[in-house]
Amino acid sequence: MAKHEMNKSVIYKRTPLQRLGTVGKWCLILFFAIYTLFPLLWLFITSLKTNAEYFENPFSLPAALQFSNYINAFSQANLGRMILNSITVAVVATFLNVMIAAMAAYAISRFRFKGREIIFALISAGVMVPLNALMVPYFTIFSKAGLLDSLNALRILYTAIGLPISIFIIRGFMDSFPVEIEEAAYIDGCGFFGRFFRIVFPLTKTGLVTAATFQFITCWNEFVYANLLTSSPESKTIQIGIRYFTNQFTTDYVSMYAAIIIAIIPSILGYILFQEKVMSGLTSGAVKG
Amino acid sequence: MKVRKSDKIGIILFLLPALALFTIFFIVPIFSICYMSLFEWNGISAAEFTGLSNYKAIFSDPVFLRSIRNNLIWAFAACFIQVPLALLMALILSTRPRAWKFFRTVYFFPQVISGIAIAMLWSAVFNSEYGILNGLLRAVGLESLSKNWLGDPSTAFICVLIYGLLYIGYYMVIMMAGITNIDETYYEAAKIDGANRFQMDIHITIPLIRYSIVTCITLAAIFGLRTFEQVYLLTNGGPANRTSVVVLYLYNQMRDNSYGGANASSVILVLTGAFVIVLIRKLTAEKKETLEKAR
Repeated sequence: MAKHEMNKSVIYKRTPLQRLGTVGKWCLILFFAIYTLFPLLWLFITSLKTNAEYFENPFSLPAALQFSNYINAFSQANLGRMILNSITVAVVATFLNVMIAAMAAYAISRFRFKGREIIFALISAGVMVPLNALMVPYFTIFSKAGLLDSLNALRILYTAIGLPISIFIIRGFMDSFPVEIEEAAYIDGCGFFGRFFRIVFPLTKTGLVTAATFQFITCWNEFVYANLLTSSPESKTIQIGIRYFTNQFTTDYVSMYAAIIIAIIPSILGYILFQEKVMSGLTSGAVKG
Repeated sequence: MKVRKSDKIGIILFLLPALALFTIFFIVPIFSICYMSLFEWNGISAAEFTGLSNYKAIFSDPVFLRSIRNNLIWAFAACFIQVPLALLMALILSTRPRAWKFFRTVYFFPQVISGIAIAMLWSAVFNSEYGILNGLLRAVGLESLSKNWLGDPSTAFICVLIYGLLYIGYYMVIMMAGITNIDETYYEAAKIDGANRFQMDIHITIPLIRYSIVTCITLAAIFGLRTFEQVYLLTNGGPANRTSVVVLYLYNQMRDNSYGGANASSVILVLTGAFVIVLIRKLTAEKKETLEKAR
């Protein structure tokens, strides 16, 4: 695993050049870490200050912790409702997406029928489509279906646009275990659906979880279509909600920062808890492809 | 598995939902933007066939040209700044320095947080009155350099562009996964031949993760062409359309009920994306051939 471990086993004196290399290496490592963490930390600290304190010195520590900013964010911007909306959208869209993708991946991965590779290639190519370019047709579809300003529009859209990557990921996992198990089950009289639910589903759990992680995070973070397709406060998601405190007249900065923190805390917590899953989920399309 | 008669219905039932959704949300929309880009349509009254006039209109619109130029700069910068930096850090973290897992976790943070939250965060950094950047400049006595970063035409685009380029975690993790798959024996052999770290990186690691690198370059280019949130939030295209990008342009066209122009710019975006993917494939495939010839 450790690639250059053997460097350490060789005992030799380090030249000045190598020492410089070590210093440079750590400068880079720390630079990127600070670059990522400092603004987040600053945001968190500032979200606990008063606006007056913030205007006076953006780097000071709060004299007293203003948890009222968070209460403000929840009560004024109605973030609670938006978080609930985001959760139901992400949960439904993830469940439907993974179910539908797993079914399609099963059919494509396990059975040799005419056109299966064409179907797979076509669907996989969907990953490359810049979905932001399809705003007009998506808007038209949902306005004709009478689903504008409805969370169902987002649920359906997210389910659909996540299919290419999910099918791609899940098929990869399904391809990796042998057909013989299913053949045996078939001989024992297990039908199509029985094999899918009792054998393939449990065996591809890792793949399903990977795809679900990717899908959930994407849904939770989606902004463009949530912004385009919803308008009333009842159907806004959290990503739209964090803009509540900015308008053309005034900006309540500290409450806005509190709202941003509220919006990103679930992502960060989930990430820290399921780190490896999240990382492999978000990069799996690229790593396997 | 062979298709048995009893499985046929199952297969069709299992493929149907995915194919239906794919048709409605991928195939039909792509045909629809191509077809509708030939019509003048305000979203309410009947569409009127106008041939290529929508394309003529957007290509003679300086804002569109500026937008597409910005997107290309964006994609180019991502390929030639962000990906190489990610490669460098992947090489460094793959030597497993102290706490490398911690740093990998940290670098990946921005990938997990929504683009909109990150954009809001950076609008706080660049804020002219209360921003971190001007605050830092004041703190070190360089107040003369402080300015309205996002309002000044000379700095707006670079500010909107640059902050994301230094988030390297995504590409780094992809390339690190490639590096872990390399067979240990290559390095042992190189070590015996007296190669140093740098030589091993150049002659073993980089050629062996070529595939991951190409993937990262492709993704970087595609993401560069799709950019929207950052610009929409930080500058909304301003000042004077300096920072506009194609998706923002089409969004604004749509808002102005000029659906023909919006569709035409969508088509250009999809085509540019396809062209870039093919181009990268071609360029990198050629490299492989010359590599083989060199042997």
